[in-house]
Amino acid sequence: MEHATGFVLPNSGHNRDAEASKMGMWLFLFTELLLFGGLFLVYMVYRMLNPEAFLLSSFELNITLGTINTVVLLVSSMTIAMSITAIMRGDSKKSVLLLYLTLAASVIFMIIKFFEWSAKINYGYFPGMEVYQNLPDGESLFFFLYFFMTGLHALHVIIGAVLIAVVIYRTQKGLVTAQKYTLTENAGLYWHLVDLIWIFLFPLLYLIH
Amino acid sequence: MEHQNEQQEHKQTHHIISYKEHFSTLVALLLLTVLTVSISVFGAELRSLSVATALLIASVKALVVAYYFMHLKYDLKIYRWLVLLVMVLFVVFLVLTSIEYLNR
Repeated sequence: MEHATGFVLPNSGHNRDAEASKMGMWLFLFTELLLFGGLFLVYMVYRMLNPEAFLLSSFELNITLGTINTVVLLVSSMTIAMSITAIMRGDSKKSVLLLYLTLAASVIFMIIKFFEWSAKINYGYFPGMEVYQNLPDGESLFFFLYFFMTGLHALHVIIGAVLIAVVIYRTQKGLVTAQKYTLTENAGLYWHLVDLIWIFLFPLLYLIH
Repeated sequence: MEHQNEQQEHKQTHHIISYKEHFSTLVALLLLTVLTVSISVFGAELRSLSVATALLIASVKALVVAYYFMHLKYDLKIYRWLVLLVMVLFVVFLVLTSIEYLNR
C-alpha cells in the first residue's frame, strides 16, 4: 500500500503525522488559554470594582517566594526546550537528564507553593474559614481568586510533571528518538503554557502595589 | 529556484535551536523579571503606571516564551496566525467586558 504523503509505521496500520499532532496540541493549548483568560476577566472586573481591597490584600502575598517560583519556572522552560534540542540531535541521554531537571523544577515549584498556601491557610484566608468569612467583600474576593487561580495553575503543574515523567520513561525505553520526538515536543508545549500562565498570574496577584 | 525554496522550508520546520540560543532567551526573560519586580517594589508611588508596565512586561515575556521556547519562530506560519487570532479574540472579550462594566 502506497501513500502519497507521510510515513507508514510497520505493522501499525495507520500513519504517523508529527505536524498534525503538534497542531492538535496547539489547539488544545488555545482552549486552556481561554479557560484562564475567563478567570483573568473575572479578576479584572472585581478589581475594577474593589481597587483598594485588592491592593490591600496583595500585600499579604510573599513577593520573594513568588519571584523565586517565577525564576524556577523560567529555568525549567529552558531545560525542557533544551531537551528537545538534545533529542533532535540524537542525544537521548542528555535529553533525559534535561527532562529530569525540568521535573525537579516542578517539584521545587510545588514545595514553595505548599509553604505559601500553608501560611495563608494558617491565617485563615482559605475560602470557608472563619477569618475569610469576616473579611470585607473585596478582600474575600481577592483571596478566593488567589486560591482558585493559583490552585488551577498548580493542577496544571502536576499534570505537566506527570507528562514529563511519561516522556522520560518512553525516551529511556527508546520509543522517543531523533526521528520521532513529537511526544517531547508536545510535553514541552504544555510545560511552556504552564509557564506562560504564571507569567501573567505573578504580576497580577503579587505585584499590584 | 522553487526547489531551493522548498528545501529551505523543509529545513525550517526541522530547525534545531542551539543550547546557546535557549540560554540567551532565559537570560532575557530573567532580566525582564528583575525589571518588573523592581518597578513594583521601588516604584510604589506610581501605582497605575506600575500596573500598566507590569502587564506590558508580562506580555513581552509571554511573546518571548512563545516565539523562542515554543518554536513559533521556526514553525509554519499558520501557528503564528492562530496565536494572533486567539489573542485578538481575548482582547475583544476584554474590551467588551470592560465597556459593559464601566457603563453600569
